[in-house]
Amino acid sequence: MKVKLLIMVVMMLALSSFCFAQDNATEAGTEDTDTTAVVESIILPAPPGNLTGIDKPNDHGHAAILSWDLSPDDGAGENSVLKYEIYKWVPQLMLDINLVRDSLSVIQRILRNTTSGITEGTQADSMKIVFEKYSRDELFDIRNTLIAHVKQENTGLAEASNSYPENGAWLFVDKKPSGTKSFVHIGSKDFKSAGFVPDFANLYYRVDAVTIDGAKSSSKVLGPIQTSGQWYNTYRTPVVFSVLFFTLLTIYFVREARKGADLYVRPLGGIEAVDDAIGRATEMGRPILYVLGLGSAADIATIASFTILGRVAKKVAEYQTELLVPTYDPIVMTVAQEVVKSAYLDAGRPDAYKEDTVHFVTQSQFAYVAAVNGIMLRELPATNVYMGKFFAESLILAETGALAGSIQISGTDEIAQIPFFIVACDYTLIGEELYAASAYLGKEPVLLGSLKAQDYAKAAIILLAVIGVVLAQFEFGAAFVNLFEVAN
Amino acid sequence: MKKTTIITFAVISALFLVSWIAKGMFTEGSSPFLDGFLVTLAAFLTLAIMSFLYKDNPYYKFAEHLFVGVSAAYAMCLGFWSTIVGNLIPRLSSGISEFFKVSYIEGDYNFIYFIPIIFGILLLMRLSPRGGWLSRWPLAFIVGTTAGLNFVRYLRSDFINQVSSTIVPLMIDWQGFGHFFSNLNFSATGQLVMMFSNLVIFIGVTCGIIYFYFSKEHTGWFGRASKIGIWILMITFGASFGYTVMGRISLLVGRITFLFRDWLEIIS
Amino acid sequence: MKRQLPFLLVFLFGAFMVFQYYVPHESSEFVYEFLLDWVMIIGIFALALGIWSLYTVSVDKIRHKKENWAYSYVTLIGLFIMVVLGFTYKVGDSWGFYSVFVISLMTLLGFLIQTSVSKDKGLWLGLSGLSLVVALGIAFTDDSWGIAFMTSEGLSNTMFTNFADFVLTPILATMFSLLAFFIASAAYRAFRARNILATLLLIAAIIVMLRFNPYMPFGLPEYMAKTSNWLMNVPNLAAQRAIVIGIGLGIVATSLKVILGIERGYMGKG
Repeated sequence: MKVKLLIMVVMMLALSSFCFAQDNATEAGTEDTDTTAVVESIILPAPPGNLTGIDKPNDHGHAAILSWDLSPDDGAGENSVLKYEIYKWVPQLMLDINLVRDSLSVIQRILRNTTSGITEGTQADSMKIVFEKYSRDELFDIRNTLIAHVKQENTGLAEASNSYPENGAWLFVDKKPSGTKSFVHIGSKDFKSAGFVPDFANLYYRVDAVTIDGAKSSSKVLGPIQTSGQWYNTYRTPVVFSVLFFTLLTIYFVREARKGADLYVRPLGGIEAVDDAIGRATEMGRPILYVLGLGSAADIATIASFTILGRVAKKVAEYQTELLVPTYDPIVMTVAQEVVKSAYLDAGRPDAYKEDTVHFVTQSQFAYVAAVNGIMLRELPATNVYMGKFFAESLILAETGALAGSIQISGTDEIAQIPFFIVACDYTLIGEELYAASAYLGKEPVLLGSLKAQDYAKAAIILLAVIGVVLAQFEFGAAFVNLFEVAN
Repeated sequence: MKKTTIITFAVISALFLVSWIAKGMFTEGSSPFLDGFLVTLAAFLTLAIMSFLYKDNPYYKFAEHLFVGVSAAYAMCLGFWSTIVGNLIPRLSSGISEFFKVSYIEGDYNFIYFIPIIFGILLLMRLSPRGGWLSRWPLAFIVGTTAGLNFVRYLRSDFINQVSSTIVPLMIDWQGFGHFFSNLNFSATGQLVMMFSNLVIFIGVTCGIIYFYFSKEHTGWFGRASKIGIWILMITFGASFGYTVMGRISLLVGRITFLFRDWLEIIS
Repeated sequence: MKRQLPFLLVFLFGAFMVFQYYVPHESSEFVYEFLLDWVMIIGIFALALGIWSLYTVSVDKIRHKKENWAYSYVTLIGLFIMVVLGFTYKVGDSWGFYSVFVISLMTLLGFLIQTSVSKDKGLWLGLSGLSLVVALGIAFTDDSWGIAFMTSEGLSNTMFTNFADFVLTPILATMFSLLAFFIASAAYRAFRARNILATLLLIAAIIVMLRFNPYMPFGLPEYMAKTSNWLMNVPNLAAQRAIVIGIGLGIVATSLKVILGIERGYMGKG
């Protein structure tokens, strides 16, 4: 009952402020005549000409691109144009819905305790006073009813806009400084937002040239145009080609490798050191600490690290050394347990696997660091391996490990952290070397094949860059560079 | 236990008590003794963590273990309220939303949100010895979606876009040798320096990429290029190391300010 | 089947995301947002696994009296106090028997650990039951605070925020500030290194570090500033780009291998 009452109140408020909005709307529509009537000395600028508009291509809809010819008075004379104002015609229904949307946003702010920004005496303020009388539970109900109402009414927008120019008003959209010749009106796709632009509904625009005195003249009305979403983003065609290029390259080399082609890989210091380090740990009777970093299982660096962990765990199981894997992310923990468990199984020592080899510490960066530091000082691991994503904590970890006298091997793709690892660790895999490392450790032809594909892609980059640099000296070179521009 | 350990513990406890009482007496507010305790605790924990620089000790161990426990629970509470109650429950059903006192967000496809719940429960199957293999499904989902996402994203940002930005003109504003030599200067915006910089960028990128070449032996000219590549990488790492130093020191200043201003109130 | 199905899922979701990238249409965006939400929700379930792991490892330490086992109690107490505070909140002005409630829950935890650790299970289980009764009794009879299992008000519990502000934040900030000492010792370590690569790194670091040092003679600071600017803008840019290209290709290749099922190490079969 209360809810219905409240909807009535909302409607009342809506109606009262609707009069206010109507005033505005008529003002906007007839402003040219008004200003000339009051101040006769003001000379109107020439209107912008040739207003055209299209649906914004390669997007999800709800957006249009407008373009126009500059007003002849743009940048000249006393009645020089200061700015352009863009207006959009909306049917009466949209105005009505907007009022409900306004009350919705006020309710939302009350529910989130963010009403402090509302200025006294405005329409929002009076709504606030009304709504604050209700309890939270009631407000939730009112909100849901209003949302359903807005959703229902929105379906009639396309039809309502057919009535142009009857039953509607011009709404201000945006303003642009003089000299601007185009504007992209990006509407909201959220039907609850006031900036909502319906797809497949007739839209009408006009652009006003405004002088410093406030005199305006309007362009011819553009419309009707309609917006819609597309099913293929043509801007991204270069990406399609490179996906094909790279995928085919990889598949080709993987097949070659399977056939038994001899693929050379240059030695990587950090990787060769892993085996020695495990041997050293065994001799000293001390554990090996493997840190997967702060990445989640969604980070490719962490996935590369899992593969390396698998190799390390297998060696560790063979040598019967102890392995410690404290983790930061619970999903990473789950995966790492799986990896280590099956590595022990592969090594034929499933009995040696302990559930707490891989354990969760905490999902807080520095608490994790504090705990790992503790492990380094108390368990005194012979070797620390850091592979994955690292942030500010990289230096704390690596320095503590170095002070504790462990051999340290690191690898990360966080460029900002590489210097710290280089300084404090014995071996560091820089960037891509981390990804290559998994292929190295396995020496599996399939993985090595994809390394070959990566190298060919690099050669392609160098080649394209050389061609580009030569062409850049000439005017027509720009077309070549444009091939590699991917707009959004 | 050693005698010194006990004495140290007694002294630290006494200092803690003194600080607590003193802070409590001189703090204004609704609960001065609670506030006094909290500020003293914060200072004690700060010093306990710093003592780690000297060597590992019981106070650091205490702070470390407390930190781990509290932060894990903090992350869980936050995650539960913001993700489960804030994001998931309002989309499940109006009944459950009402129970949790959050507002139901109506949508046409809300039933789809039961899938992540099922995935989540499958993940929890790890704890049962026989259903463990089921926990791989949600992992497959997470890894699959992000791999697909990263594949196209990085191909665009780190491959295609990098080609276009590596293409720099080596001859800038070239109007013949006479013009070049008559306008020769060493200012950063001068023609000579700009051309030299662009050349360094081009050679740097090329040699850097060559350094990351895995399937060719780094000998001969290829080896020399790769050597130049690693030199440039090292210079870069040095520069970025030097760049970070000042920022790190200001962090320390912040902590010392806390000890001397908020706790000891020596400086204001 | 057991082994192959996850890889099929990886392929399907991976391929979907690749295609999704080219489709700007709203419905494709819609599914994309759904999938990202799912990842987050699954993450919270995983966090429960994580907390369970932390709990079992700590209890295990206590049970076997491993080195530093006593500190595991600190972890567990911190964990449980924070959970209790995060799920309860104050209704009125007084705290009532709130602290007794928290303490009885803590003793309950202690007794439960003892139950799993000691041989005399009956005694400890009985004591656990007793403290549970006390806790429940207070929870049902005391009205000055509530169990916030249904609202997010637990997060604004004064003690919860106090713990966050006076335990979490200072330790976090101090750990972070330790970087100042570590960067100094790291610089010293670089200084002692005796090869050409380390020397290059050190020289570049010194030039950039001293760029604003006003105490240097002969107008050196100006040259230092200029050189360090050039270092940051030119060789740095080149090297960053080379690294970014390498990393990008590494990520692309690894993702592709994951989608195609060539790389399987992350599922424990490498």
